[in-house]
Amino acid sequence: MTEPTEKSGYTWINPLASWGTATGNPAAPSVPVPDIREDWDRVTGYKVPTYLVGRLKHYVIWSNHGDRLWNRTRWWPTRRNLLHVTGIYNRKTAIAEKKILDRRPIYWLICMVLLALAPLVFPASMQNTLLTAGTIFGIFAAINVCWTLIIGTASIFSLASYAVVGTAAFLTSWLSITYGVPWYVLPLIGSAIGLVFGLAIALPALRLDGFYYALLTLGLNELCRVFFTTSKEFGSASGGLYGADSFIRESWDPMVQSYVGYYAAFALLLGSLSLFRLINGKRLGRVLRMAPEKREAFAAACGVDYKRARIVIFIVTSVALGFIGGFYAAQYRGVAFSIFSFDTVLLGLAMLAIGGIGKAEGAVLGTLVVVFLDKVLLEWGPIRHFLVGALMLAAVLFLNNGYFGIKKQFNAWRDKKRGEWRSTRTEKGGEALPEEATETNDKDQLYFRRFDKIQRDYLKKLITPEIIEEHRRQPLGQHSEALERVLLYFRRAKLEDKYALHRAGPHGPYKIIAFSGSRGVSPRIVDDREFATVDEGYHGVFMRRVHDLMES
Amino acid sequence: MDVFFVLTNAITVACIYGLIAIAVSITWSSLGLINLAYGFVFTFAGYGAWLFAEHISEMPVLLAGAGIAMGALAGIIVCLVVFIPLHDKPNFTTRGMIATLAISLIGSQSFLMFFGPRPKSLPDLFGFWTVDMFGVTLTSDKIGIVLCSTLMLFVVVRWMRGSRRGLEIRAMMMNPHAASIVGIGVRSTGIYVMAVTGAMGGLASVLLSQTYYIAPFNGLTPLIKGVSIALCGGLGSVQGAVIAAILLGLVEALTNEFLGGQYVLMTQFLVIIAVLVVRPRGISGLLDKAREQ
Repeated sequence: MTEPTEKSGYTWINPLASWGTATGNPAAPSVPVPDIREDWDRVTGYKVPTYLVGRLKHYVIWSNHGDRLWNRTRWWPTRRNLLHVTGIYNRKTAIAEKKILDRRPIYWLICMVLLALAPLVFPASMQNTLLTAGTIFGIFAAINVCWTLIIGTASIFSLASYAVVGTAAFLTSWLSITYGVPWYVLPLIGSAIGLVFGLAIALPALRLDGFYYALLTLGLNELCRVFFTTSKEFGSASGGLYGADSFIRESWDPMVQSYVGYYAAFALLLGSLSLFRLINGKRLGRVLRMAPEKREAFAAACGVDYKRARIVIFIVTSVALGFIGGFYAAQYRGVAFSIFSFDTVLLGLAMLAIGGIGKAEGAVLGTLVVVFLDKVLLEWGPIRHFLVGALMLAAVLFLNNGYFGIKKQFNAWRDKKRGEWRSTRTEKGGEALPEEATETNDKDQLYFRRFDKIQRDYLKKLITPEIIEEHRRQPLGQHSEALERVLLYFRRAKLEDKYALHRAGPHGPYKIIAFSGSRGVSPRIVDDREFATVDEGYHGVFMRRVHDLMES
Repeated sequence: MDVFFVLTNAITVACIYGLIAIAVSITWSSLGLINLAYGFVFTFAGYGAWLFAEHISEMPVLLAGAGIAMGALAGIIVCLVVFIPLHDKPNFTTRGMIATLAISLIGSQSFLMFFGPRPKSLPDLFGFWTVDMFGVTLTSDKIGIVLCSTLMLFVVVRWMRGSRRGLEIRAMMMNPHAASIVGIGVRSTGIYVMAVTGAMGGLASVLLSQTYYIAPFNGLTPLIKGVSIALCGGLGSVQGAVIAAILLGLVEALTNEFLGGQYVLMTQFLVIIAVLVVRPRGISGLLDKAREQ
């Protein structure tokens, strides 16, 4: 029972008593009745803290004019726009605005300009180290961008990219040394070698899927390493094959040589990035975005020849890798065996994994990080590779797709957390479970249950010893407001399981029964307790209902 | 060069690599993890056994036990670092493979830092004696290697067939999702699998160090060989791995005999590619259904 503390000391006076027509008690100690509208407002009010909604405008918006929207800068001679710009209207001011939907070209441009200007700002003491590292960065980034095309766009998990580069570099160096082939032919010969190599290893790629192919190409890499290190023609004794023709003249100043090397490698990187753009951003890339892993059957059913697209990309990229191999030989006058070593493959994979597999920016950033650790912080010793491994492990363990996948992953995580927070804030009245509510077609049922709960909670506060005593004294007739409200609620109850009195003889005793609620099914006897008079019986029923109310 | 001598050599080496192949195979088929950290497990067990021999005892049985225990420990480390955090994440297979590669990179660099580049050698496990059989001289280490690896394989296969844990692992191989629904813990099974396969790698390491030395980067060759055998035999199949080990051992012996040592890898890979082009899932791999993950 609720505590009757501040409610005691209130006496209800039957308004009919003075007329002498009253049934029921002339007066009764009772409780003051609170206003139910307060409960209603409290329960139905919206108490969830609300925040400002919408997004911060983190993009630049230019003013626009309807005419100018169609007057865009285009890549000559195509009709492609320089940037993906859309015209929008400000929702508050209705002023026309321009918004760049895809800002990546701008970032690329800024980064490439920075890379091109970087040698000017290198500190003098580190100039040579940084230029060497920059050259290596350019070449490795070019290789990794091509590799990204194979792994990401074509979804062929090949680990033999460095084997292609190495083979092309070794063969072209050997040709240049033995037959005096000039440097400008080496990349072309390399491309031919890459084509042959690519055709040879594309054959199993047609048949094997994913990881069988990865393991096979890992083995192929080892095969190349063993073959080149053990064969006498390729200088097994000297740790590499050197002496090829180069576009960097030895008569030049060493600093000029470094600069030429740096910018040549930079041009190579630009070339491979344009290849990436040409393949990934055009028809082949789009065809393969239609056919991601495990959805190939669907794509094939739609008429996408994904196998052909994959092999074409694989072969084109192998040609590019061969080109890079020939370029490598022409740049360094030869090549070392370390290009085939397992650690090179591991470092390459680390570059991709750190930046994010499948994205050119990921490949370039990963290469930058790893080359910086590996070639600039030379005095750190073996801990450099340890750090690269740790970075790679951390990237794989915590990030779904490397550094450039962070944004997507963070947004997904934030949405998940938002959902969780929202669900903890949601008020649960206990009227209906959410799944039950969605299954119920008659939504009135839900509102009725909610209203009923509010009413029951309110009435529970009115149940006090005073009104029970009042009812015991006089079950029928006019009652105090509190008791009257409770009784009205009880009388309005549904017929099923509604209590009634059953008279055993002509003058009692009475027993409590409950209706079944359905026609033709007789009521059941609730318990064996017998009441001598009908008023006692009424009070018994009342107590039972009070009990049920307090239990609910 | 006597063909039988080459053949016994090939069989000996195939036994060791077969152990790793079966380890790779079991890990892939039950956990869906392509574990390329067996090189790390291999070197870890080798250095563990070497430390044991240096500081505690050189008794062959204890030494082999130490190698096996260290291998199991390395397997558990790989499981804790890679499998347990990653197994329910998106792109698990790719990320798991890259993570195991990262572990092998970190591992070899730490071995280089702690133990230096100089190779270590283990004491002889099987002594020096020879047996003449059908006119072929078999040395003690060859017989010991073949016996030990066969015994290990036998024990592991018996355990997989007969024990409760083995039943769980086989259930995981059949259908990992259903296995986890009926109450087989993915993580606990992962630890068992990695411990057992790590123990196989550890034994292979101790056995191979009878012929070769223990060096920071020596885990690579056994890994590549093991992976090739597992590929050729079909990932997930023990008998396929045994057949492939024997086949590749034969190829190695024949190439050594007729073409010369430097062509061994080439002929082996040609054979593997030929096998895989005909049967894309290896000799006894199931043809159309890979493990769904």
